[in-house]
This record gives sequence, structure tokens and C-alpha cells, in this order.
Amino acid sequence: MTTEATTTATGTPGAEHDEGTVLRQIATMLRELPDAGLDDAEITRETLFHDDLELESIDLVALAGSLREHYGERVNVALFIADLELDEIIALTVGQLVDYVAESLRAAERG
Amino acid sequence: MSRFLLVVPPLVGHINPLAGVATELTRRGHQVAWCGHSERLRDLVGEGAEVYECAMPDGGDLVRPPGLTGPAAFRFLWEEFFLPLAGAMAPGVEAAVRSFAPDAVLTDQHALAGSLVSERLGVPYLTSASTSAELIDPLAELPKVAAWLTGRLTELRARVGDPRATADPRFSPYGILAFTSRELLGEGELPWERVHLVGPVIADRPEDPEFPWEELDPDRDLVFVSLGTANTDAGLRFLRETAKALALLGDRVQGVFADPGGLLTEAPPGTLVRPHVPQLDLLSRAKAVVSHSGHNTVCETLWHGLPLVLAPIRDDQPIVARQVVEAGAGVRVRFGRVDAARLAEALRTVLDDTGGHRSRAAEIGRSLRATGGQRAAADHLEQLTARHPAPFAAH
Repeated sequence: MTTEATTTATGTPGAEHDEGTVLRQIATMLRELPDAGLDDAEITRETLFHDDLELESIDLVALAGSLREHYGERVNVALFIADLELDEIIALTVGQLVDYVAESLRAAERG
Repeated sequence: MSRFLLVVPPLVGHINPLAGVATELTRRGHQVAWCGHSERLRDLVGEGAEVYECAMPDGGDLVRPPGLTGPAAFRFLWEEFFLPLAGAMAPGVEAAVRSFAPDAVLTDQHALAGSLVSERLGVPYLTSASTSAELIDPLAELPKVAAWLTGRLTELRARVGDPRATADPRFSPYGILAFTSRELLGEGELPWERVHLVGPVIADRPEDPEFPWEELDPDRDLVFVSLGTANTDAGLRFLRETAKALALLGDRVQGVFADPGGLLTEAPPGTLVRPHVPQLDLLSRAKAVVSHSGHNTVCETLWHGLPLVLAPIRDDQPIVARQVVEAGAGVRVRFGRVDAARLAEALRTVLDDTGGHRSRAAEIGRSLRATGGQRAAADHLEQLTARHPAPFAAH
């Protein structure tokens, strides 16, 4: 597992916009996806959405909904997904989404 | 009397609905010819059919690694199957059009050579949609993926179609026959114009005359299990878990497995495992169905008023499964993760009607049986030839 928080110039470990916190949050949302059967799944930054979690694009849309509910306007995951090429979607990792969410939160904090 | 050329990919689920339409057209006195994989066509539509052979890449078999799912399966399906198929089929489609001189073409939306050659030769054509999934613009949230596909289709059109044409070759500007219904699509506006929702085609097809009907137990509920015909090598783990689930429910259910790949070697006592099954006859006796969520099986199941346990594998199946769940007629499980206990629980839910799935399926069945199916499809084809008379001067 590579869940250790990385400290950045604008972040402190344990803060909401910290990558480790975001990873834990996203992992929880994934485990709670209805009927996904991910209750006991190991979820790390390297976990692949498709090959490892067997999620489909409609699951990503559901996840985007959960993230919107949790973080509000600060994080627009639909925009992130819409910007992906087919090859990027195939190889999408949980870590990439975590980084996007964390960066969006920091950007919102900076104003 | 009109002449109709039916163009299909070498996939059972795409050929079967058109076989019912062909029977109806012939019954009305029209002349029908097929264009595609001749051996597969003769197996599915009968020895007597008039068939124009098309070349097929790799013998026309869609073989994908079992674990290939999601967007990787999507890329494979287009890059390694539908697009090369169109290039290979185009000369055969052109020869068939010139020789048979049809008044109109009906082409499956994934047999792209059918629409592209028709547009180039100026023959009116309808495309047929054998799934509800393409009708809702599944790539709407993924514009770069949609652009990738559009780019591939434009390249293909430059080679085999009319480069000046602009319509998406999956959706004919003359109209689309969709073998599905509002029950699955929901009430939202469809992104394509001229879509005729004719409902499922439920027609007799040559099946298993040797099926051992006497082995069915009238005191137990019949559960039919099928992963379709295009995923024969992907399902062993799932079939085993399903067999275990049926064993858990053995005092009240009897399972019949369609297992064309011959994967399932151990099954609970009394379970029937057959490479081919008389699916429609079985559905008329079944109480529930476990399915990979292929559109044809789903529609046939709902037509019979039965609830489903859905385990979509790839392609359009997750979307079809979501549509059934949203319609209230099924429970979804994860093909790659679900275990026997969870499957047994899902089966109990739909059999006992605790979530209302069986009642809802019965309602949907009534509305599907009221759609026109192959008769409505034939009506639309007749209207097409009436509006666009004889593209070829003489027959």
C-alpha cells in the first residue's frame, strides 16, 4: 500500500486536500458503490479502475456523483473523465483520480 | 412485391432478430436475400435461404481474452472486429447489391459495410439496432472516446462509403429499426432521429429437438441460466458459482444451463447442462433467468414476464443491465466477483418477489407482447420502398 500522505507546499498531512485523506475517502466511496461487490477490495493508488475493480464507465459516473455530493462544486470529476482519451481510461488508476481531486481542493482553497 | 437485402455481422444475437423479420417479409410475398457469413446464416435462418457470401476476417469469429472487459473490450471490439469486418465485407456487399438489385437494404448497425456500401450505391437502407444500449448515446460523458470512434468511422467511410455523406453509419438517415422498447430505454429523448422502437422479435428458430423435457421437475421452479453465445470462454467461474447457488436452493429450484462452450462439468444433481437449448420453450416454463444481460435474452425473458439476475460481462451488457434494474425487473450482480451465497440471495429475491421484480417483469411482458416486433419492422420496410421506389431500373 502506498497510502502515505505526501506533504506539498500547500498541504499538511491529514488535511482534507491531502492525497492520503482523499484516497481513504475515495476508497470508502468505491466500497459503498451499490452492487459493486467491492466491500473487501484492496484499494491503493495503483489500483486500476477497470482491470482491478472491474468498474465500468457508468460506475465512474456514479462515483463522480458521490464525489460531487461530498466535495460540492470544488471538484468536477465529470470534467476530469470527459477529458480522458480511450487509452487513458483503460489505464486509469485510483491514484490519478486522487491527485485530481486533491489538486482541485487545493485550487479551491487558493481561490 | 419488393426485394430486400439483409446484411449482418457473423454474430448470433445480431442475426436472430433479422431472421424473424425475414420470415415476416417472405410471408408477405417479398423476396429476401442475406449477405454475411454463409455457414452461420444457414444454421440460423435455414438451408433454403438465399445467401451472398462475404469474406470475413479470421473466419468471422469474435474471440477475445476472457478477462478483456470495459473500455479495453470496447477498443478491441471496434479495432479488431467491427472495423476490419466492414472492410472485409464491403466487396461482398457491393457484389450482392449489384447482383440481387434490392429495393432496399436492411443492415445491422454493426455490419457497417451494409450502410456504407448502400449510401455509396444510392440504395435506401434502414439500420437495425439489436441492443438498446447504442440508442442512448453511451459515450456522451466521454467525448474524446466518441471522437476516437468517429475518426475511425470517417476513415472507413473514405475507403468503402461515400466520402461526402455525413450520417453516422450506425444510424441510417432513412430510419432505424430498434428491437427494443421504452420499457428499457426510459422516457428520455433519444439522441437519434427516426428511431422506430418495434419491440423484440420473438420468433421460432431451429433449436434443440432432443431436449429432455421429461427431466424437468414440475414441483420445483425452473431457473434458466445463459451467458449467451459470444462469451463462451469467459464464464467458468461464474457458472460454477451459479451451480453452487442452485444447489443451495436445490429443494425449490431446478437449473437449466445453456453452456455452448461445454465449460460446466460439475452441476448439482438434477441440473440440466446443454450446449444448445430451446430457449423460448424453456422461458415459457421458467420462473426466473440468470443472464449475462445480452439484449436478446433480456427481451425474450421480459417478454415472457420473468425477472432476471443480471451479470453483465462487457459491451452493451452493463447498460442493458442498468436499464432492467431501473425498470424494476431485475437484480444486478458482478460477473467477476459474485459468489454462490450472493447469487442465491439474488435468486431468492426475484423468485419470492420481495422487491416486486416478478410483478414488474410481468407488467413489462404484457407491454412488450403488445409491440409489433417483426410485423412492425416489415411495415417500416414496406413504407421505405413506397417512399423511395426502385433504385435499380430493372430487376
